[in-house]
Order: sequence, then C-alpha cells, then structure tokens
Amino acid sequence: MATDTRVILICSGKGGVGKTTLTANLGISLARQGLSTAVLDADFGLRNLDLLLGLENRIVYTAQEVLEEECRLDQALVKHKQESNLSLLPAGNPRMLDWLKPDDMKRIVEMLKEQFDYVLIDCPAGVEDGFKNAMAASQEAIIVTNPEVSAVRDADRVIGLLNTNAIKPVQLVLNRVRPKMMASQEMLSIDDVTDILALPLLGLVLEDEQVIVSTNRGEPLTLNSVNSPAAKCYLNIAKRLLGEDIPLIDPVEESSGFGAKFRRLMQTKIF
Amino acid sequence: MESISKRIVLNMDNNNSSNWELYLKNELKKMNSNNIEIDCKDLNLSCIDIMSIIKISSKFNCTISGFFSTSPKTIISTQSLGYPSQFIFNPYSKKSVNKSDIISDQSKAHFHQGTVRSGEYIDSPGDLLILGDVNPGAIVSAEGNVIIWGKLLGIAHAGKKGNSKAKIAALHLRPVQLRIATKVARGPQEKPQIGLAEQARIFSEKIVISPLETM
Ligand SMILES: Nc1ncnc2c1ncn2[C@@H]1O[C@H](COP(=O)(O)OP(=O)(O)O)[C@@H](O)[C@H]1O
Ligand SMILES: [Mg+2]
Repeated sequence: MATDTRVILICSGKGGVGKTTLTANLGISLARQGLSTAVLDADFGLRNLDLLLGLENRIVYTAQEVLEEECRLDQALVKHKQESNLSLLPAGNPRMLDWLKPDDMKRIVEMLKEQFDYVLIDCPAGVEDGFKNAMAASQEAIIVTNPEVSAVRDADRVIGLLNTNAIKPVQLVLNRVRPKMMASQEMLSIDDVTDILALPLLGLVLEDEQVIVSTNRGEPLTLNSVNSPAAKCYLNIAKRLLGEDIPLIDPVEESSGFGAKFRRLMQTKIF
Repeated sequence: MESISKRIVLNMDNNNSSNWELYLKNELKKMNSNNIEIDCKDLNLSCIDIMSIIKISSKFNCTISGFFSTSPKTIISTQSLGYPSQFIFNPYSKKSVNKSDIISDQSKAHFHQGTVRSGEYIDSPGDLLILGDVNPGAIVSAEGNVIIWGKLLGIAHAGKKGNSKAKIAALHLRPVQLRIATKVARGPQEKPQIGLAEQARIFSEKIVISPLETM
C-alpha cells in the first residue's frame, strides 16, 4: 500500500493543447521508473485517454460503476499491456456529468491512493463543473499550455482558480514548441509565457509529428518511440517531476544556427 | 573588499523631512563600508530624488545594493531605476496619511500581493496597491488611485465613483484599457521604455500617460 501518493491534476483551461497526450506519456514514463501509477480519465464528456493508451477494447467497467458500487475498483482498473505498473481508470458515461459531485471524485481518488504511488488526473477543458470536480480531488497540478495568446490566457485563469483552492505546487509544461518559429519571433517566446504565468517551468515539449502517429496507433511515444524528440521531452518532464535535476535549455538559442544546431537539439537529452 | 552592506536609515522627523539630503551626507561620512542599503522610511521620493541619492552616495564611494520604504511611491521610483527594493507595508503610518500625495486615503486602501490573473477582479473602496503583475484579462479598480508595483497588462479603473483626480501608476504600463472616473482609453500600442515607471491621469478631459516623477 502506497503511503505518500502524489495526486496530480493535468489541466489547461483551453482544449486541445495536449493534456491527454501528456497524461498518457507521463503515466508510461513514471511506470517505467518503477512507480505504480494510475491515470484517471476525468474528461467524461470527451473521454479519449483510453484510446491514446490503446486500452479502449479492454474496458469492462468504469469509474461510474465503481461509484455506484456495481463493481470493485480493481475490476474497473485496466492494466496496461506492456507497462504493468500503469493502470487506467476509465471515464464513465457522459451522463455522469449530471450527477457527479466533487465528493465523488474525492472518493474515487481516495481509493486509488491506497494502491498507487502516483495518480494523474486527465482534466476536461474549461473551468466549469468538470474541472471543479477534478480539482477537488487533486493536491498538485501541471498546467499544459501552448505558445499562443489564447492558450496562455486560459491557463492564467485556471492558475488563479488552482491558487484559490490551495492546489500546490502548480508547474508549467509548454507544449508544441517550434524552435524555428520562436527564433523568428512568430511564436510567443518561453519568457513571454513564463513572465505572464509566473510559474516554475517543468518542461517543454517540441512539436513532433510522431505524436499524431502514436495517437492513432494507441501507443504513447514514450512506450516504443523513445528516440523521437517529443518522447525525450516527456521523459525529462517525468524525471523532473521525480525531483531529478535536469537543466532546461533554450530552444531558440540552440536553433539560432539552424540545421546542425537544430539537429543537435533534437538529439540532446536535456530538453 | 568588504561586501557586507550597512544600512542607512533616513529617519526624518516631521519637521525636517525636506532635509534628507543633508542627513544622508552626514550618515555617509560616518560610513565605514562601500556597500550600503538605504531605508527611506516614509519619505515620498521621486525617480529624480533617488537619482540624487545615488549620486551623493557615489561621491562617498558607496554603492547602493537596495532600498527599503513604507512609501509605495518611493518603491516604484527605486524599482523603476532597477534597484532591488522592498516595500514595507505600514498601514498605521500617520505621517503618510497626512503627507503622502499618492495614497490619498490609506484607511480604506486595499493591498494585494501576488499576480492578478485572467478572470480575477480586485476592487478597493479607497486606493488600491498591488505588488505583482495585473495580467491580460484581469480587472482592478478603485475609488481612489491604482498603484501597481509590477506590470499592468489588463484593465485598470481609478476613481471609479467619479474622482477625476485619481491616477493609475505602474512600473510597466501596457494595459488593454485604462479608465479614470468616466473616461476610457485604450492602452498605448508602443512598449514603454524599460525601467521607467509611468502614470495615467486626466489632463484637459483626456487620459494622458507620463513618466512617474512628475506626479
Ligand atoms: N507535441 C505535440 N506535437 C504535435 N502534436 C501534438 C503535440 N501535443 C499534442 N498534439 C496533438 O494535439 C491534439 C490535441 O492533443 P490532446 O492531448 O488530445 O489535447 P487535450 O487533451 O488538451 O484536449 C492531438 O491531435 C495531439 O496529437
Ligand atoms: Mg483531452
């Protein structure tokens, strides 16, 4: 039985910025490090964590049946095929949203805490009930955002709500970074984003076509394509989350002589 | 060289607060360190005043490592000149109630520390003092002045019950929109000069922005 379980909310405000992808990859990476990890799909409206993990066809019960006491927790948990340290608790029917309360989420998470070291909660977009339910059950949070004005604005809103609910620490992951666009100032820079959000940066994730390929295959990058640029980013984020001191590098500086330097960047472990 | 900094306290009493330059010189004469910090107490000092403190100190071969003050105006001045500055919150300082030209009614003044984020709203029945940034999407308003020791990137409304003498001051003034009393203005398009605190106030029926030291 785990004692000091970390319950981490993965949220963003805006949709489509990469929460579910981060949850899946972080889940795999933590499990790889030998930590028993549960990923909880709290996006009941648009569940797709199961898809990304390639576990859709193995789901029998969901969080809904657990809450309604129609099954035990371990019956609903879906163990990952390759990574046995990782389990998914699937989201129930979207109609659950009609009755689900913050206390229900707390109950589910309390059960998960009894057997896992890490609980990652894939949060729905928005700041309404779905978000509030998921937040109620969390201790700390990772904000995912993109280097875009609207995503940063929404992230800022969510950070304010997390602060008032005493969720901490709140750390930042900047996803879909394109060093070339940052260098040419077509994209918000890392400083632009961290200046506004005033949060510690847990890591950057590069824009990477492999993410899309892996999503369609139901195999997170960190599972089988560990050498792809984004996979390295996810792995480093997992390590930093575990307290390892892995320095961040500035992608713009690294890409300022494009070509050779950029390839070096893609190969570096530091990202 | 000795690097531990010694602190000079500009402890002026009510009668001779205009004599702080003389007082500073006397203190500097007695100094046996080249590295000093200055506690300006409740003196209200402009950027120009701070620059003359720096000049005087350098004549005595002293470098200033930082400033302290209970006056927001002084802190904004020192901060905008790039010095490490610490604001000491002192709501009971009688002197600043009487003398301060920037905090008009400190009894009702509101004090907020930390970033004001998108969707957040802070309001004060007197002046509003914010130590932190006001982000895009945030709104801050006050019946008196709005003073921001940080960046103003959202919306600020000073004198919202109609006081057209109210001012908005910030270290970095680049709001979406400014409102003073019943006047509304869009924020300036061009970036302000780095290191120059600015203020907005009504001047001949229009909101104008100028460097803070003319306050
Ligand atoms: N680093 C990345 N590079 C390329 N595409 C990405 C990256 N991160 C996410 N995506 C794509 O963005 C889309 C949204 O990602 P998803 O994780 O579902 O976002 P959310 O859960 O926040 O709605 C998906 O199509 C995903 O493949
Ligand atoms: Mg999602």
